[in-house]
Amino acid sequence: MTTVSIEAARVGERIPSGKLAMWWFLASEIMTFGGLLAAFVLRRFAAGGWEDQAAHVSTRIAAFNTLLLVSSSLTLVQAHAAVKADQRNRVAPYLLCTIVLGLAFLAVKGYEYSGEIAHGFTPSAGPFWSFYYGLTGLHALHVLAGVIVNAALYVLVIRGRLWPRVQQRVEYAGLYWHFVDIVWIFLFPLVYLS
Amino acid sequence: MSDESRFPSYVAIWSWLVALLVAALFCAYVPFGKALAIFLIFTLAVIKAFLVARHYMHLRTEGLLIYAIAGVPVLLLLGLTLALVPDIIFRR
Repeated sequence: MTTVSIEAARVGERIPSGKLAMWWFLASEIMTFGGLLAAFVLRRFAAGGWEDQAAHVSTRIAAFNTLLLVSSSLTLVQAHAAVKADQRNRVAPYLLCTIVLGLAFLAVKGYEYSGEIAHGFTPSAGPFWSFYYGLTGLHALHVLAGVIVNAALYVLVIRGRLWPRVQQRVEYAGLYWHFVDIVWIFLFPLVYLS
Repeated sequence: MSDESRFPSYVAIWSWLVALLVAALFCAYVPFGKALAIFLIFTLAVIKAFLVARHYMHLRTEGLLIYAIAGVPVLLLLGLTLALVPDIIFRR
């Protein structure tokens, strides 16, 4: 009965299966990142703030990375808008911009990590740094996964193949990418501003 | 299909996100009280997340089922986290 009810709801709202699957995946991601963020907040609160350790992270670099990620969300949603308008020649440039901005985010993150490790702030330098590398590293892996998906879509678009499927996949890739953006929106103040 | 023209443009949303980022940095550097600064910074983060979810993830045009799929884990997460807060406070 439950299966029938869910199926009826899907048909009633005309939600494509791929979109529904992506939202279910994002729901699991909310619990994954949310659990880690909650553990960080509670542990930090219990430990009295870790201000001395948090003072060594670079707010300027992180703010620049926030700008990159927010801008990449704009370019990907513009790609989605171009797909919906069936403007194929506009999709590839927006996807390429998203890929470049994602790679730039990872490069800046790598630069930031290298500076911190050079100063002795490794994952074993204390609980703050363990959480820092765990949270930002997991997020960076998600950005990398998004870049790979967007690159695959870019190749499909410039080859002009599977256009009807590409249309939906750009939307699903966008949902994932914007979620990764939202995770960073909370990571940034938690790790760098408080 | 919904009428997208009645919503702000994606570039306008991006401008708001950048403005809120600048506002959060302002709150972090201007010497408010720490509690007030943290409250403002996280309020701004919630507004930014809301803007991205509503406009870029198109929750503004989604139905109840998508809201339920996305909302239940958020509520579960908040509930479980808040349930641990007394334990953390009483252990200090």
